[in-house]
Amino acid sequence: MTNKMITHLTIWTITLSVFWLLLSGFLQPLLLAFGVFSVALVIVLLQRMDNVDQQPVKPALGLPIWRYSLWLIGQVIGSSVNVAKLVWLGNKALTPAVEKLPLTDIPAKNRVLYANSITLTPGTLSIDIDDQHVTVHALEKASIEELKAGDMAHKIAAVFGGKAQ
Amino acid sequence: MILEMISNIFLILGAFFALTGAVGLFKFPDFFTRVHAASVTDSIATILLFSGLILRTEFDLVTVKLVFVLVFLLLTSPTASHALAKSARHGLLATSAETLSKTNKDNN
Repeated sequence: MTNKMITHLTIWTITLSVFWLLLSGFLQPLLLAFGVFSVALVIVLLQRMDNVDQQPVKPALGLPIWRYSLWLIGQVIGSSVNVAKLVWLGNKALTPAVEKLPLTDIPAKNRVLYANSITLTPGTLSIDIDDQHVTVHALEKASIEELKAGDMAHKIAAVFGGKAQ
Repeated sequence: MILEMISNIFLILGAFFALTGAVGLFKFPDFFTRVHAASVTDSIATILLFSGLILRTEFDLVTVKLVFVLVFLLLTSPTASHALAKSARHGLLATSAETLSKTNKDNN
């Protein structure tokens, strides 16, 4: 086992232990032992699975993901108000559109986050994803233009330090 | 006292957006646009309702658990919407934009 592997597993152990403690909140020895056992089980599984797929994934807990989440919540509020207006003010203004957006600038492990962010934002919906493109359905053409401008894509590419790749 | 007022505002706004999602579900014309309406309930209503609930806790482990529930809902509900939309797409359900352009072509 290399040094890198050990740090990787240690980070996961700490994260999972903190998660378990926050969920349980009990400090009796028996329950703590259960906690230790379940964390150990997950770590063993994680190590074996990393050996199989050779793509260890770090937990994203750094500053960038928080900054991105705050920004995303801002986007969600803005577009929710937009969709709420469309709902209450009649549906004549609807201009649904479908478009394929390129994914090639975004590192592979950030693509899930990208597609999920698109869906989470009301008014845009990712309906299909392949190696090069994500197909997006939008309530209004303007939202697709906004995605095309690439603001979200740039921010996501930076979340896991994607620029280095 | 102030926290309770802010919490009330969040809860009422959350309920309003949940209602908006439900109304939109009936008002919008086709499957894909309806998913958009439902995603209002999934995203903003969830965020507002849980923020409202969090402000009403004693800021202990219950708060942390509410934050976890919020985070997991925000991760899973877009995944569910995506799964629905993707299977509709792969089942060759046309979007209303595509249906319109097709009828236009047929007429010409």
